[in-house]
Amino acid sequence: MRDRHNDILDLSRRDLMAYAGAAALTAGTALGSATPASAQAKTRFVFANESDYDTVDPHAAFDVGRVAIRLNIYDGLMRWQKNPAVLEPWVAESHTISPDGLVYTFKMRKGVKFHDGTEVKAQDVVYSLERILAVGKGAASLFKSMVAPGAAKAIDDYTVEFKLAKPSAIFLSIVPEIHIVNSALVKKNEKGGDHAEAWLSKNSAGSGAYKITQFDPAIGFVAERWPSHFKGWGPKWIDEIEFRAVKDTNTRVLGLIRGDFNGIGGYLQTDQLNRIKANPATQVLEAESMRVMMAQINTTRAPFNDVHVRRGINYAFDYDGFNKEILGGLVERNPTPLPNTIWGVPKDVKGYSFDIEKAKAEFAQAKVKLDKPIELAYLTGFQQSEQAAQLLQNGLTKAGVQSKVVGYPWPTIVERFKDPATTPDVSIYWISTYYADPHNWVGEMFSSSTAGTFKNASHYKNPKVDELLEKALRSTVQAERAKLYEEVTRIVVDEAAGLWIYNTKWYGPYSSKLKGIVFCPIGSAQEMRTAYYES
Amino acid sequence: MRILALILQRIAWLVPTLAGLVAVVFFISRVIPADPVAKLAGETASRAQIELLREKLGLDRPLLVQLVDYYRQLLSGDLGTSLFTTRPVWDDLYARLPATIELTIVAMMIAVVIGIPLGVVSALYRNTIIDHVLRIITVAGLAVASFWLALVLQLYFAMDLGWLPLQARITGFPPPSITGFYIVDTLVEGNFTRFRNVVAHLTLPAFTLAFPALATVVRFTRAGVLETLQKNFVVYQRAMGIPSGLIVWKYVLRNSLISTVTQIGLLFGILLAGTVVIETVFQWPGIGAYAFEAILQSDYAAVMGFTVYAGVVFGIVNLVVDIGHAILDPRGTGA
Amino acid sequence: MNAARDILRQLLRDPAAAVGLLIILLLVFIAIFAPLLATHPEAIWDMNPRQRLLPPSDTYVFGTDRMGADIYSRILFGARITMVIASVAVGVALLIGVPIGLISGWTQNWLGEALMRVSDIFLAVPQIVLAIAISQTLGPSIENVILALSVTYWPWFTRLVHAEVRSLKNETFIEAAIALGVPTWRIILLHVLPNVASPIIVRTSIGMGFTILTASALGFLGLGAPPPAPEWGRMIAESREFLPEAWWYALAPGLAIFLVVMGFNLLGDGLRDVLDPRIRRAGARR
Repeated sequence: MRDRHNDILDLSRRDLMAYAGAAALTAGTALGSATPASAQAKTRFVFANESDYDTVDPHAAFDVGRVAIRLNIYDGLMRWQKNPAVLEPWVAESHTISPDGLVYTFKMRKGVKFHDGTEVKAQDVVYSLERILAVGKGAASLFKSMVAPGAAKAIDDYTVEFKLAKPSAIFLSIVPEIHIVNSALVKKNEKGGDHAEAWLSKNSAGSGAYKITQFDPAIGFVAERWPSHFKGWGPKWIDEIEFRAVKDTNTRVLGLIRGDFNGIGGYLQTDQLNRIKANPATQVLEAESMRVMMAQINTTRAPFNDVHVRRGINYAFDYDGFNKEILGGLVERNPTPLPNTIWGVPKDVKGYSFDIEKAKAEFAQAKVKLDKPIELAYLTGFQQSEQAAQLLQNGLTKAGVQSKVVGYPWPTIVERFKDPATTPDVSIYWISTYYADPHNWVGEMFSSSTAGTFKNASHYKNPKVDELLEKALRSTVQAERAKLYEEVTRIVVDEAAGLWIYNTKWYGPYSSKLKGIVFCPIGSAQEMRTAYYES
Repeated sequence: MRILALILQRIAWLVPTLAGLVAVVFFISRVIPADPVAKLAGETASRAQIELLREKLGLDRPLLVQLVDYYRQLLSGDLGTSLFTTRPVWDDLYARLPATIELTIVAMMIAVVIGIPLGVVSALYRNTIIDHVLRIITVAGLAVASFWLALVLQLYFAMDLGWLPLQARITGFPPPSITGFYIVDTLVEGNFTRFRNVVAHLTLPAFTLAFPALATVVRFTRAGVLETLQKNFVVYQRAMGIPSGLIVWKYVLRNSLISTVTQIGLLFGILLAGTVVIETVFQWPGIGAYAFEAILQSDYAAVMGFTVYAGVVFGIVNLVVDIGHAILDPRGTGA
Repeated sequence: MNAARDILRQLLRDPAAAVGLLIILLLVFIAIFAPLLATHPEAIWDMNPRQRLLPPSDTYVFGTDRMGADIYSRILFGARITMVIASVAVGVALLIGVPIGLISGWTQNWLGEALMRVSDIFLAVPQIVLAIAISQTLGPSIENVILALSVTYWPWFTRLVHAEVRSLKNETFIEAAIALGVPTWRIILLHVLPNVASPIIVRTSIGMGFTILTASALGFLGLGAPPPAPEWGRMIAESREFLPEAWWYALAPGLAIFLVVMGFNLLGDGLRDVLDPRIRRAGARR
């Protein structure tokens, strides 16, 4: 037993000694102000992520996989915090919205410093938005639907103003994605008008709580605490964080148990979570979250333009078998496109249940014969999506309907979604929280204006729904908007415009002594500013 | 002179072969009905936004134009830019090359150092229990699926016994890069704990990768030794009363080694092919795993870069082997 | 006919080759009678989440998988996929590779040279590299795996036949036939082909084993037959997330691949010994 841990023990002992040595040196130059005791407290956090950190450009990615870079290295004007998510002022102190809903003015804090010591000013915010629009990656397409280049203006060093083309209820929700880069530093590294894309993909220019010290796209990144971060620090903190890609689930779990990692990604099988829970050195944090697993049904062609066929499909999925058996009860049934935990959900809507007889009855009412197999598409490499497809196939077979299961890699299926003719009949995947607003789900999933995007593979067209959604986007009163989203949700559930399976809980496997982790659905608890080790 | 002519002829053929390979893979990868541009543009991009980005990346032009362009790029030593890492493919490959080379060399050494003695033993004890056991092992080595062997070894040595790490190249960040080979770099660093850590990480993937090659070496060596043993001069020397141990080590082995050396091209092919699967299973940050990821994401430039790399490396190794063969055995150059 | 019986008799005298032959016959038998031999023939499509990941028992001989299907029954049906992929892929490779090899070996002109150069292109990288690229392009299905494997395997037959034909052309009996004015097609069909048959048969057997390995690797990487097809390589890939708890999940399919490939390799070895005594049991992968 001892032998197997030798390597790791030796390593950490050595590291500790190295730190102690370095600290002793600093202590010497700093006239002995630091004691050896505090030097030993130099802390490290290693996180094993499911996917690669292929770039550290905060404007190139808009996904959960690389969110650690955006939240820890960079700051925005506002930030989503806590659970349920609340939009809090961040580098901005306050903001005002003009009565016509077109002009957003942000007052910024003074004295916020980038990692090189220069101050964060309104000009940096303007440059950052321009860069997002110019580079055209990550969240750029969302911004492009609301603002054009030149829309941001620095009124003075600490006031920035955005002019929208038309009012939008969700603009504020995505303001956190304007990660502020040090414009002077970035401009210095531009090459041929590339907005320093090459440079910023492996270097950082932020003001966040940590600054990058090492980055290797094949491994991950290491960042050290930025003591002058504007938010200040609690009595305890973590000195150095390391986020690395470890793509095999087993390695992550074993590494956590053995102490190689202090935290790992939480998309795990039940028995693995149980193994981590059972180990005294590790813990699993839990929180309500918002990530809906669903099947999008291509509603444009026969027989899927027939509501009875769509309802039949909804009755043919074994919800309990999937949520309770295959996923071991890690998730909760979510009967509508909106996550149960957000506002705008009609609470009385029960949705569909697994009932082969009802499925048969619905299929019997279909006007068009189901003569060719239904194509059930899953995302290659995602076991859950594949298992759900197989389970749906199983139910359909029992209801007397033929189907075939086809896997597509992510880029392929997104390309297919663009055209109703190439969109698979049924596609099974997730919609996560990109911003905590019902529009993130039911809005973008069923508005005809977003047909063909990643979120809308149903190509659903319903003038009534479009009208309600448009109204909801223009209004800024939440109670009013909630009613509108409730109505839309009722309609699409009744119409069986899709199939909704679960809303996931968040599971955070960590070392037992790690405290201060704050979960927020946007960011999956990867903001490390508040974390510390209990001694 | 004949050897020089041979070398020139082989090099002359290498170029059009590689050009053909590039064309084949180029057309294959462009037919992929996936759209990496759509992924880059973001999940909520509209069609117009995607087309705009496509134009910017030059992916909207006719295929033939793109191919000619690519040849021109290649000639100037540029492999293009990876769509996803946004870094030059050359940089990506270069960063991952040491990992693959280290793994391949260690696997090759395992195969040769263990394989040749086993082959000799198998031949000397032909048709005895030893020979039969070795035969079963070598046939098994060629029959077992490498990814399954990797899983079984991981299950036992990493999960059950906990002796070896499951995967990756090293715990924590790599040593300061001097050669890029962690075995060398950790030694230079003088850090033996890290050196042991690196060796532990190398063990499973290198052995899994080496297994089929090892079996091949044993079989070749056995056949080579048997052939040499039957040749006249051995019989003659035996008649002259030279002790048999000396015959084996001095004459038989040297002769049979020649036949093994000429198979290094084949061995290398086995190992190169193996890296794609083995690196994927062990999360080895090398070129094989990179290639697999690139294909899954339809990252054109990266797929092409890997193919060119594989073609060039494979071509050079075979060239060297051919030259070596020509020097060792000048009669067989015509084949 | 007599020759074939002779070969068979010699083969059976070699215990290893006999075992190989037996394994292959067993595989063919299982592939044909899978529905009768399976204890849960519905296991290739029917899922029972409430019975998932059960260890081997009387009801489920090899345990159940992540969807609650019987692994034993799925292995039996998987034999069909394996046999179809390997025999069609190698068959197509033979049909493409042998004629090209004959033409290029016989006609020593620009055409023959050009054909060999084309085959060189396919040999310029290891087979699996091209096979992955092709099957990823076409999308995962059994047909596409077969296509990818045959498109990348034919050059091996071409090379083999090419070399054999070239050395045969210098043999006295062929030279005599040419001198006598026998039509070329007759010479090739009646004199050349029978003489290159032995190495082709040996390579076909080894090639079957090799193709099964490559096909299962494609399946493992997620590029093979889509679910719920009980493809062995895919079953092993599925099992990874459930190790080490569900150890039985990867065991049966891995052993199945191993046994079948071993069978073809042993048979190939034995055939080589019988048909081609010049090279006895030299290493031969691919």
